[in-house]
Amino acid sequence: MSRLGQLQSIVKDADELHISAEMVNYSGVIEYYPEELVITVKSGTVISEIQRVLSENGQSLPFYISNKNDTIGKEYANGGQGLSDFVLGVQIIDGNGDLLNFGGQVMKNVAGYDVSRLLVGSKGKLAIITQISFKVLPDSYIGEFNQPIKSSDQSTIRLQIEKKLKEVFDPRGVFI
Amino acid sequence: MSIIQHLTRVLPKGIVITGNESTRPYECDGLSMYKKKPLAVVLPENIGQVRIALRLCRKLKTPVVTRGAGTGLSGGAQPIDQCVVLGLSKLNRIKSIDADNKLAVVEPGVRNIAISEAVSKYGLYYAPDPSSQIACSIGGNVAENAGGVHCLKYGLTVHNIESIKLLTINGDELLLSRKDDGLGLLALMNGSEGLLGVIIEITVKLKTKPDLARVIMAGFDSVRGCANSVADIIKAGIIPAGLEMMDKIAIEAAEGFAQVGYPLDAEALLLCELDGSKSDVEAEIDATMKILSGASTIKVSNNENERMALWKGRKSAFPAVGRLSPDYYCMDGTIPRRNLADMLEKINDLSNKYKLRVANVFHAGDGNLHPLIMYDANLDGEIQRAEEFGNEILKLSVEMGGSVTGEHGVGIEKLDAMCHQFNLKELEVFHKIKEVFDPDSLLNPGKAVPELHRCAELGAMHVHKGVLPHPELERF
Ligand SMILES: Cc1cc2nc3c(=O)[nH]c(=O)nc-3n(C[C@H](O)[C@H](O)[C@H](O)COP(=O)(O)OP(=O)(O)OC[C@H]3O[C@@H](n4cnc5c(N)ncnc54)[C@H](O)[C@@H]3O)c2cc1C
Repeated sequence: MSRLGQLQSIVKDADELHISAEMVNYSGVIEYYPEELVITVKSGTVISEIQRVLSENGQSLPFYISNKNDTIGKEYANGGQGLSDFVLGVQIIDGNGDLLNFGGQVMKNVAGYDVSRLLVGSKGKLAIITQISFKVLPDSYIGEFNQPIKSSDQSTIRLQIEKKLKEVFDPRGVFI
Repeated sequence: MSIIQHLTRVLPKGIVITGNESTRPYECDGLSMYKKKPLAVVLPENIGQVRIALRLCRKLKTPVVTRGAGTGLSGGAQPIDQCVVLGLSKLNRIKSIDADNKLAVVEPGVRNIAISEAVSKYGLYYAPDPSSQIACSIGGNVAENAGGVHCLKYGLTVHNIESIKLLTINGDELLLSRKDDGLGLLALMNGSEGLLGVIIEITVKLKTKPDLARVIMAGFDSVRGCANSVADIIKAGIIPAGLEMMDKIAIEAAEGFAQVGYPLDAEALLLCELDGSKSDVEAEIDATMKILSGASTIKVSNNENERMALWKGRKSAFPAVGRLSPDYYCMDGTIPRRNLADMLEKINDLSNKYKLRVANVFHAGDGNLHPLIMYDANLDGEIQRAEEFGNEILKLSVEMGGSVTGEHGVGIEKLDAMCHQFNLKELEVFHKIKEVFDPDSLLNPGKAVPELHRCAELGAMHVHKGVLPHPELERF
């Protein structure tokens, strides 16, 4: 069984989620409030589509995008600090098949650990990201973005922590 | 041998404090309605001593409550039973300033404002400015992900930190940076309330001081008119550096305290600061003035003195409300901005229901409310009424699609409210994250995340984005 097929079999409300093998079908803008500077999208939404919706209101995603033809979920999973700074909330399916929400659609939120930013850069190994909420900005406040510089910390302690955090979200090792 | 004996044997004289009198200042934080005595207070003078204290506490399984300046408003730094308080106020050195790259490396006990003061000569400043900035520590700011008046444009603490060094409960050092590939561990530590590790060094990002900042003060005949103008400004594509609102009681209190010329006949007041280059600021002032044309009074600062005066009232609003009532209880919910007017009306209704006055003075641009519930702790039952009132406000915040805390943290204070915002599975994830860093649960245990049975006993139903109670909640 494929990884997603396997997951689908344990996800309780898979039908409702329309999880497809590619996730790309799980796409579209869920909510967008220009006056709130907040957009919530399904993770399979292609970035250029999000940009198009925002541009109708003179707003943009305020971070470096590596490929606008990718889905926002992929960008998030590989993401760095620029993107992380503008994440407000996520909905995920963890390795137990549970649908969980962290963060939200408000600018400030310190209730609970910041899981919505912890999972930025998780490369799909901890959970399936189903929805993401971002803070957006008016175009006039958007400058140039440089490709973020990343460095890899391979210290034993960091690797150990990352391994244990994976077990928190994916105790059965569904996501390889 | 007891933990106190261990600590005093290894650490130099004067570092370990015991006895009722000497430990009294550490019995509570800024949320002074709750107090508890610690076993001992350790005030290390270097990182080596922090590590020693942690290792000893771990060995003897003694809980550790890390403390910065103790200005927190949710009981985060309040001692718990049989704990050692690890106070970091003596670690207050600014280690280096790199003006070219706009970075400064500081110890955790450095006061927030001391950073801006130290880098001012380079034309730089540290942007997040909690109202407590003359006292609160940068370590405490990271641990709470503190906000301030200028967050809307310049971000919260998490947006202004380049890297941190952290000691785990084992005394191991972890360096977390914005550049790290992989999981967002640096972001995780922001707002972790002393439950995951002890922050021992912080590299903060600095900003160039803007050429010009001007503030518009606008008085309104109705709260709704004022609240709606907040959304209108942002809808118009303007991001003010600060966008703060006060209601009538807060205006009167602040004016009585600071005498800065706030309109006493207004029902609500808006302070809107615009900053940047001279031409940008002038253009934004013009645009904003048009949006605020419905205001009953309007004034724009013409120089720094006038600007500081207009802010002075806002910044002294908390102590000013403190003069109206023996005690007040500060709430911290956030909601989507479009619901501000409805929320303020509901708070007003609750104020009548609980027969307790409320002053509202808050970060309107962020949708972050700070209702100050006034009560008298000496009157029977008033504390409980204030708490119940507060809890209803937080529940409402969640129902309106917001959060129970925008910047003050959960601490001990909002444990019950957390049950409304998260379901048991989500809370379990939080508990497991703590276990990864602190398997014996020695760092600030019992704070920030409620035990699952607590939520079940409370019968609290978690509410997601206004969707009301789920029947499938498990019971323990
Ligand atoms: C008048 C007043 C106004 C305020 N205004 C604001 C405001 O505008 N915005 C805002 O966000 N907050 C505000 N606060 C709340 C408070 O000042 C902040 O939460 C601040 O960040 C706390 O810093 P502190 O050094 O006092 O931390 P403490 O109160 O000592 O500790 C807070 C928490 O952080 C943990 N902690 C502290 N230092 C460390 C460390 N080095 N490593 C790990 N954990 C640590 C503690 O265990 C505790 O859980 C205000 C408070 C007051 C009294």
